[in-house]
Amino acid sequence: MLQQRSDTAFSYLYDNYSGALNGIINQIVPESETANDVLQEVFVNIWRKIESYDPTKGRLFTWMLNIARNASIDKIRSRSYRNNLKNQTLADNVNDPLNLQVIKPVYDNIGLRKIVSQLKEEQRILIELSYFQGYTHEEIAKVMSIPLGTVKTRIRSALIQLRTML
Amino acid sequence: MNIKEYIASGIIESYVLGLATDQDRAEFEQLAAQYPEIADARTRFELELEKQVFASAVNPPDDVKEKILNTIGETGTSVNLPSTVSIEHDITPSRNQGWLRFAAAASLILFIVSGYFAYKFYNQNKELTTKNIELEKERDSVANIASEQQKIMNDPNVMVVNMVGTEKAPKSSANIYWDSTSRNVWLVVKNMPKLASDKQYQLWALIDGKPVDLGLFDPPDNKVILKMNNTQKADAFAITIETRGNTGGPTLEELQSMGKARLQ
Repeated sequence: MLQQRSDTAFSYLYDNYSGALNGIINQIVPESETANDVLQEVFVNIWRKIESYDPTKGRLFTWMLNIARNASIDKIRSRSYRNNLKNQTLADNVNDPLNLQVIKPVYDNIGLRKIVSQLKEEQRILIELSYFQGYTHEEIAKVMSIPLGTVKTRIRSALIQLRTML
Repeated sequence: MNIKEYIASGIIESYVLGLATDQDRAEFEQLAAQYPEIADARTRFELELEKQVFASAVNPPDDVKEKILNTIGETGTSVNLPSTVSIEHDITPSRNQGWLRFAAAASLILFIVSGYFAYKFYNQNKELTTKNIELEKERDSVANIASEQQKIMNDPNVMVVNMVGTEKAPKSSANIYWDSTSRNVWLVVKNMPKLASDKQYQLWALIDGKPVDLGLFDPPDNKVILKMNNTQKADAFAITIETRGNTGGPTLEELQSMGKARLQ
């Protein structure tokens, strides 16, 4: 049986995947220091939860990517983060019952987010809200005053369209 | 259910990106376990997504790695990689302190190796090409163990049967991998508790209503894939609890889990 050092396993994981995961984190969390914090959290979580990864459900990278995306969304939705934003420049939108800010992101010129920005507006908004900002179908339906079923169907069409652009 | 329509419906993209509702997600997982075409379609999209995300990789500052290592508090300790265990020899793996964590780290390496296939696509990025070479070296060094497990799980001829718990043991679960060409049968335990020392689990194939023994086994300590007896046919698989070394038929009152084999 082969002997392997566990810190080599971690190094392997970090060296090969940190760049890609960091890329997606940076597309959701624009401040680089905060993004680095999220990256750290993400790798600690991956390392601690590795036993829960189920290979029959998909690839390892997909599992890690979803951890990274969820951690990024949790960060931007956290109270401390929002408070910081308010203190800086952005004003609340009074017509916005969920305090949902669908601002045109300034960091949409890279990666997945760049591709999403090329979708037609109706589809872009849905992917922006659901994928990059973590809003549920219900929340989106409420804010946009469209039926829940429509949200789901439109998201599906948007994703099919998005895939042709990958 | 029309598989082709299902695959084209956007559910694959939705599931992989983490956007599916809980209900759709559960349904997808069940169907993907049942239909290899769906699992394959999932893998195809996963690879496309991976390629895209890697293309916009951003290297983090050098000190981040150190900070993470400090947090997880890992030191350089040896870990044993799991190997496929033949049930006749019943090898008990040696235990290291903290083996659970290290065995997880070891199985992690095995699945990282599957990342090798994703790197085949990344020609233009020189950094990733270098990593490809490193990956190949890593893969070759764990080749025997990794390639065997990966071959089994990714082989299109291999049918996955999800063993679902019974009323007696609702949480019992395992996966059977049945190769339709070689007729080999492998078992991966997912949730099956250890038994008293005079008891063992036994796997059965149900053929034309009759149970056929495919082997006795104990749930392994680490994530090994168990090789069971071959079977030409199976309508379904079943796992029961028997006395250790049972030579008789199945004790159906102790049925733990069952799974239907998909028709060829």
